[in-house]
Amino acid sequence: MTITWMFGAAILLPVLSGLFLLLRQGKIQNRRLKCAGIFLVMALTALLAIGLICSPDYELTVWQLTDTISLTFRLDGLARLFMGMTVAAWALGGVFAFEYMKHEENEDRYFGFYLIVLGVLLALDQAGNLVTLYLCFEMMTLTSLPLVLHNMSHEAVMAGLKYLFYSIGGAFTALFGIFYLFANGLTGSFTPGGYLSAGTVSYTGTTGMTLFVLLLIIVGFGTKAGMFPMHGWLPTAHPVAPAPASAVLSGVITKAGVLAVVRVVFYMVGADFLRGTWVQYTWLTLALITVFMGSMMAYKEQLLKKRLAYSSVSQVSYIMFGLATLTADGFTGGLAHFIFHSIIKDCLFLCAGAIIYNTHRTRVDELRGIGKEMPVTMWCFTIVSLGLVGIPPLSGFVSKWYLAVGSLGSGTGVFTWLGPVVLLLSALLTAGYLLTLSIQAFFPGADFDYAGVKKHEVNALMTVPMILYAAATLLLGMFPGALIGFIQNIASAVL
Amino acid sequence: MSGNVILFHTVWFPFAAAFVSYLTGRRSKAARDRVVQFAVAAEFGLMLAAAAIYFQGGEQEFLLAGFCGQGVYLKLDGFRVVYGVIAAFMWLGTGVFSREYFGHYRNRNRYYFFYLLTLGATMGVFLSGDLYTTFVFFEVMSLASYVWVVHDETEKAMKAGEIYLAIAVIGGLVMLMGLLLLYDAAGTLRMSELYDAVAAVWQEKQMQIYAAGGCLLFGFGAKAGMFPLHVWLPKAHPVAPAPASALLSGILTKTGVFGILIVCAEVFRYNESWGLLILGFGVVTMFGGALLAVFSVDLKRTLACSSMSQIGFILIGTGMMELLGEANALAVRGTILHMVNHSTIKLILFMAAGVVYMNLHKLNLNEIRGFGRKKPLLAGIFLTGALSIGGVPGFSGYVSKTLLHESIVEYAEELAELGRSVLWVRGVEWIFLLTGGMTVAYMTKLFVAVFLEKNPERQEEYDARKNYMNKESALALLVPAVLLLLMGFFPYLTMNQIADLTQGFLHGTSPEHAVHYFSWTNLQGALISLTIGAIVYFGIIRRFLMGRDESGRIYYKDLWPAWLDLEDRVYRPLFQRGAVAVCGFVCGLVDRLTLTKTLLRGGMNLGGIACGILDRLHLVKAFLKGLMSFTALLSRACDYLVDYVLVFFRNTTHRSTTERHVYLIGSRFSRVAGTLLDRLAAVLNRTILRRRPIRSSFVVRFAEWEEVIHKTNRMISVSLSFGLMLAIIGLGLTLVYLLWW
Repeated sequence: MTITWMFGAAILLPVLSGLFLLLRQGKIQNRRLKCAGIFLVMALTALLAIGLICSPDYELTVWQLTDTISLTFRLDGLARLFMGMTVAAWALGGVFAFEYMKHEENEDRYFGFYLIVLGVLLALDQAGNLVTLYLCFEMMTLTSLPLVLHNMSHEAVMAGLKYLFYSIGGAFTALFGIFYLFANGLTGSFTPGGYLSAGTVSYTGTTGMTLFVLLLIIVGFGTKAGMFPMHGWLPTAHPVAPAPASAVLSGVITKAGVLAVVRVVFYMVGADFLRGTWVQYTWLTLALITVFMGSMMAYKEQLLKKRLAYSSVSQVSYIMFGLATLTADGFTGGLAHFIFHSIIKDCLFLCAGAIIYNTHRTRVDELRGIGKEMPVTMWCFTIVSLGLVGIPPLSGFVSKWYLAVGSLGSGTGVFTWLGPVVLLLSALLTAGYLLTLSIQAFFPGADFDYAGVKKHEVNALMTVPMILYAAATLLLGMFPGALIGFIQNIASAVL
Repeated sequence: MSGNVILFHTVWFPFAAAFVSYLTGRRSKAARDRVVQFAVAAEFGLMLAAAAIYFQGGEQEFLLAGFCGQGVYLKLDGFRVVYGVIAAFMWLGTGVFSREYFGHYRNRNRYYFFYLLTLGATMGVFLSGDLYTTFVFFEVMSLASYVWVVHDETEKAMKAGEIYLAIAVIGGLVMLMGLLLLYDAAGTLRMSELYDAVAAVWQEKQMQIYAAGGCLLFGFGAKAGMFPLHVWLPKAHPVAPAPASALLSGILTKTGVFGILIVCAEVFRYNESWGLLILGFGVVTMFGGALLAVFSVDLKRTLACSSMSQIGFILIGTGMMELLGEANALAVRGTILHMVNHSTIKLILFMAAGVVYMNLHKLNLNEIRGFGRKKPLLAGIFLTGALSIGGVPGFSGYVSKTLLHESIVEYAEELAELGRSVLWVRGVEWIFLLTGGMTVAYMTKLFVAVFLEKNPERQEEYDARKNYMNKESALALLVPAVLLLLMGFFPYLTMNQIADLTQGFLHGTSPEHAVHYFSWTNLQGALISLTIGAIVYFGIIRRFLMGRDESGRIYYKDLWPAWLDLEDRVYRPLFQRGAVAVCGFVCGLVDRLTLTKTLLRGGMNLGGIACGILDRLHLVKAFLKGLMSFTALLSRACDYLVDYVLVFFRNTTHRSTTERHVYLIGSRFSRVAGTLLDRLAAVLNRTILRRRPIRSSFVVRFAEWEEVIHKTNRMISVSLSFGLMLAIIGLGLTLVYLLWW
């Protein structure tokens, strides 16, 4: 019973407080009080979520629509992983935003939707069947839209519309697949390891058509994860959103697509069903194209936040690639990369936000010597950048190791070695587009005017989240044992 | 955590010290310098303690399971004792020297931080017992040492740093690929298990293991400065501050060699084709480096090129170690001893160069010549290094070069016994001797220029500099020089011991009969090299590479063509422009031509075409229009009620945003038909209807009608949408009703 209450509170508390904030827009004069209130809500939600994470597995049916369609939530390892990441990213991004949003308008609207999305995401993470998942997925798209078009400039609105079209289009693509599966007797509940390949349900669909709709589902949900060919919204939407919003968009919301794909492939259909089929090869190909193309575009991009957005395109597909190998190691690497990339990309966007907030510089070539002005920010930036490149002992290295090992052991012909090669090429490009920035920042050159440098670091509300992220990158890289073990448990259940 | 913890201490301690020194440096610079010196001294002490433990208790190991995923495994055997001590010693020497050298530098805190960081990482590399651990520390070392290269932040330094970092990152990634392939094939990266694991799968996975070996060779070779990945070396070493150059050259290149040795000894043990590959790279690296050094007119650049050349010597030994099979004692001992020698020698030479730079801030031979005159201490120290590296009998380099030479001779004899062609081996031997001669020549060039010749302009100023280094620095230079001398004078007592201690690492055994270093046959080789050296120096360097300027003064010519640069000619165009441009272009296309957009475009066009076709089918149009008019009439006749509702909605929810002005112009139909009727009416007015003529114009009347129809149409469309809305709500209600009850 307590669990029901905790579950309800964890979702409703942020949603209701968000709605309250939206209704009272601009009417709360005391900013300090408001921020404290928001923080309290987030902290409480985080506590509730942690309480849920620590509780034993449960299944709650909230609403029995028909015999087969119900609104069900359940907690398992995967849900714990995603919930943990979500509340952590939300809390830190929120703290950062308390300072950052000072220079944006309509902050009440921002925080209102920010809280609502948190609630929706917590629900999404625990979705216990496909209908619930789809519902929460669409809710997430709609409620996160205001974060994208926050500053309401023409550019932002257009980007918001693009985000909406891509997301809805992707979701509908997936929906078609879902209809087909349902029409042929699949119930949509989640079982580790899936049940289609095991033949435990009476399924009437033809193999060819089923494979095709699975590809549609992967591509459709992959839209959120920015997988080629549906990645177009990501580099448009991220740069125009406020930095803390870009951070959570890139760090957490893109991963919702990953969650949906994992649920369908590993919890409904079963990996064996896809192994060795043309769908797996297509999936691998799409993921690898995205990995390389994203890095390359980031390398050529001069706008800092857009560069980071392209980097997200590339990095999220690392996860997709790991999943597509359909091996335990690849799965482990993929989910580990989900956590690590979330941490790293959150931090990078926060750093970019701190730079924009402080200096109003948005282009990469304007950042010469910035390391002397904002050392803490740039140190965090550099540490997590190295992590993203995959330099040991930082976290990105660990996940890439598992991804590559998984790929080499996957028995997918040419992809066994092509995968690691592309991953490493992309890592090289990552070094090219991130480290050059750090170098410019810290080694401005002998002709640099050292005397003219004024150290003006952002305040603790902004630095503390960045430092925490950077520390997490280092610590998780050095001691990944617990996390990897946790993911391996999930992997062994589903594969 | 299991095993002997002292191994762990030697690795983590410098990392911790780095942070302490950084924090101290923010308070006090002097205190920071002391902290750094204490840290390197303590590290040296720790390493000595580890060595003592090794001599008492034999091999030690340490495992920190789960660190970085696969765990860190450290090991202590004879070779690692020697190289650990050497590394710690070199850091100690440069640490002592740095205090004076960096006296007036900016960003020292940063330098020291990375200086200690690199120490910890280098220790980790040398003590690593599996390749995973090696890789972890190798990457940290590569990136931390980048900061040394760019420390001055001059344009030249930044450019050198760029290529250094590029090669480090690329090398690291390729090495990672190699590790992955090897791990996939053999299932382990533990060095002691690798040989058996590889042998077990050799038959089926030969290609994969060769690919893995190639990747590893690339990665480690890049760090070692092996041709064709040497490009960073002659650029990065000279621009780094001198203590850093000494470390880069003396010890960081050796980490690369260490990796190559592991690959050779554990993965491809006694593999002939692999040995040939290494030997080939070794010969090119050795000769190429020496050639660059002969042409160079920059003190530190010459030393850097010399490093490259000496790495080539070591690689030749490594190749021979493979080729000779189990009887490779000479090659094994020669390889390791040459590594040890080269580390110590380059420590001395680069620090001596540092003394010159510290005083003059110049390195060009034409500018610094004569600086060393009347400075016997510096001259003596430099000479020790020069003679050693030149392989002059009585100095340490002679011993290792003799062993390497002997191994080549031995291989030639072995081939001759088997009846195979020995011509190419003889060729290698002669290149070896020739390069030895060139080594002598370029070291002579340096020594003569700096310590013997007079500077035409500033000799008095140079002579007047008596306090060119303080006692601390002098000690830092003197101690290694004395050690080097001892090693050279008493090879049986010193170098043989080192060789005995370390050869187990490469699975070498003591030679069947002891080598007499000073026997006539061995001296012969050295004499040939020295003779070649004299010929090269007097015949080429003094004749072609030196000339007289307008005022008749002799100067050193920089004849090496600047355009002949692998980096600028090949690598940069190939990767930076070629590959990136092409891939960037393709990716740009892929990025922009996304499926959705194409689909949308396609859909739009299709729709457009369809509409165009419809538009041209007048029949359809007329039919549609007729239908519309009919419906309009019908609705107008019947549905006043709906109109009220509509008006209500039009004024509230469905209010149109823009008011359109309707002019009474009418369409073509109304004009044509109206005019016709008007004409008809005029005719009629004149004839039949003379009494009651038709006054109004038909054109206007038709136009009015049309406007009414038009307005009605718009209303209809709005009402249709309204109706649809209602229908959907109704459907929804029905659905809810069906589901709910």
